[in-house]
Amino acid sequence: MTAAATMHDGRWRVIALTPVTAIFLAMSVLPVLNLMAMSVHDIGWSGGRSVWTSAGAVHYQRLAEDTLLHAGIWNTLVFSVVAVAIQIVLGFFLAWAVSRIDRGRVLYRTIFILPILVPGILIGAIWKLMLNFDFGLANAILEVFGAEPRDWLGTRALALPSVILVDIWHWTPFCFLLLLAGFESMPQDVLEAARVDGAGIWGELRHVLVPMMMPVIVVTFLFRFVSSLKVFDEIYLLTGGGPGSATEVVSYTIYRTFFTQDRMGYGSAMSIAVLFGITLAIALTLGASRRHGARP
Amino acid sequence: MNIDTKRRDLLAGGAMAGAVAGMAWTPRAGAQTPKAAPFTIVINNSPWFDGFRKTVEDYEKETGNKVNLDVNPFGGSLEKQRASVRAKDGMFDLLIMNGLYYQEMYHGGFLTPINDIDPKFRLDPQMIAYDNTVFWDEATKTHDPKGKLMSVPVNGNIPLLLYRADLYEQNKLQVPKTWDELLANAKKLHNPPRMYGIVQRGARGAPNDVSYDWWPYLYSFNGSLFRDEAKGDFTVTINSKEAKAALDFYIRMAKEAGHPQTGGLAQAQIIQNMVTGRAAHALLVIAAWSQMDDPTKSAVVGKVNAACVPGSATGKPAPVLGHWLGGIPKNVPKPRQEAALTFLAWFQSRNAQMNYLKAGSPPVRQDVLSDQELWKDPKNRWMPAMAESSQYVRLMWSVPEGAQIGDILELRLNQAVIGELTSDKALNMIADETHTIMQRAGYKTGRIAPL
Repeated sequence: MTAAATMHDGRWRVIALTPVTAIFLAMSVLPVLNLMAMSVHDIGWSGGRSVWTSAGAVHYQRLAEDTLLHAGIWNTLVFSVVAVAIQIVLGFFLAWAVSRIDRGRVLYRTIFILPILVPGILIGAIWKLMLNFDFGLANAILEVFGAEPRDWLGTRALALPSVILVDIWHWTPFCFLLLLAGFESMPQDVLEAARVDGAGIWGELRHVLVPMMMPVIVVTFLFRFVSSLKVFDEIYLLTGGGPGSATEVVSYTIYRTFFTQDRMGYGSAMSIAVLFGITLAIALTLGASRRHGARP
Repeated sequence: MNIDTKRRDLLAGGAMAGAVAGMAWTPRAGAQTPKAAPFTIVINNSPWFDGFRKTVEDYEKETGNKVNLDVNPFGGSLEKQRASVRAKDGMFDLLIMNGLYYQEMYHGGFLTPINDIDPKFRLDPQMIAYDNTVFWDEATKTHDPKGKLMSVPVNGNIPLLLYRADLYEQNKLQVPKTWDELLANAKKLHNPPRMYGIVQRGARGAPNDVSYDWWPYLYSFNGSLFRDEAKGDFTVTINSKEAKAALDFYIRMAKEAGHPQTGGLAQAQIIQNMVTGRAAHALLVIAAWSQMDDPTKSAVVGKVNAACVPGSATGKPAPVLGHWLGGIPKNVPKPRQEAALTFLAWFQSRNAQMNYLKAGSPPVRQDVLSDQELWKDPKNRWMPAMAESSQYVRLMWSVPEGAQIGDILELRLNQAVIGELTSDKALNMIADETHTIMQRAGYKTGRIAPL
């Protein structure tokens, strides 16, 4: 290719990408800039109009003193790490098992992905009823075995694990699907070579499957981890952040600050801080995965 | 009637607007209701909504006027109302505002004073003014009855003590007048898990559960959030000895005669326990009454009765307002404002209120509520308690910062109920956090010595 053709090609790329870039900027960067502007103001209402008063960095300073936000950050991290780790492990073994069977694979795949097809509002209603202290299925089963009923959503020790359980039920199929695609695209000759070399089922798993699946596992983990940091619907529907602050998560704290308390300035500062935190978490995860040789 | 839970037709009022713009009309109760433009009411889907919906249907049949209902969960209704009134052109023509958040609509200047729409309109003298919350004096920021009329009551939701009358009769119990008497009765009937002596809304609510349930205790123990709101003294007094006594009693009630998981119970679970016959007492908003006698929902039809909430040995009963007011925004076209007011004028008539009662919602007219002929109907056996309660009703707060304060209350009170914080610590934390909010908002505020 000549130099002139390369330059022409480069210009064409710039021209072609400009509209998309402009739309991207309008749809994502401008709202963030607006959020940043709001985060350094107190916004009130008088005479039917908004009144913006400069607040400097006060809202950011308050983040450090906000114990509810701190509880939310901690719970979100616990929720994300535990739920996603279990989902990846379960999804991996389910996908592995399904990839090894020849008959009925489509049927199993269909059954396993059912939970992600159920709308969040229904999941909330179903699990809230099942975990109800007085009338729920979970306590009815305990009663059959002579055990005391538990308040799954109303006690500090059980509320967060219960919400994590619901999230695992809901999102393991997502991990399963991505990992199954990984198993199905795996070169069979490597597996056959391992078997010829005498690798048993666990040897095959440990020395062949896991290393080869690592890029898919990392991508799956990233997708799920980032989306789990934004968990909202399960908390909103099942516990409302309670009891106390046991299931408070960051997105719910921001929601209440913004919409219930109507503190738009402080809510914006929270949002910016969380956005920064999530970006940092993604960068660290990607860096770590690259250091370990997995390239998503 | 079009019930739209997702969106409304922005142009709904516009088409009719021109046709009716020039029509002179005077909305008066009992008078012929004039033709009006279609308009939209934004409303919450609370237990009393069904009665309101039927009454709106009556209005449409009687007048031929068209009403759209935009129905939402409690929190969703507030969010939609905020979005609408803050926009250049409002979507909703009549806001059904709760007693816990209407203040921000008054303070923010979002509503049109009713008499700016029609100078001749008068609130019917029989309409209950609910601690004068329908009036607003812009200069003093108080509910001075000499101020402007800003809204019309739509629902008089207040808590009543619901109790199992059949068990009272079997056990020869007297209806309690004080919290001590209620505790004694509850303990007598407490037989968990088959029967809880009392079920309380101890959950951290979104937006309000435990604070709304506890407030009648607070007031009747002579506690308060602020020293004297009406006089502009916002010194935070929530961590007084009186408030501590009220909170300790509330927790004691839960421990000695309550549900084992009081900290996880919201209004829906309270109603569930009552209608399934697993609770002997509950403080429930009157809007929930219709479910007690609904054979499709209740196992205790005809067995529940209502009384005014108890008082303390030293203080009067204090049912707190969780009422609903209808206000008309500034940023909607005049024909739609007039249409909304036409409806409110019709709604405050005695006939409409009688229909409202028949449809299962508590009326907001004193002459209907106190009509002893109506009391004779067993279906209306809650009415004497409601009429008695009306003389004691009190507002939780009048400041627009109520939403922030409410969030703090819900968290800290719930932590006290579940034993995560002592009552002293919970109340001191509420006081500190409330004081910070009030100080930042520029109120004359202060603190009392911590507990």
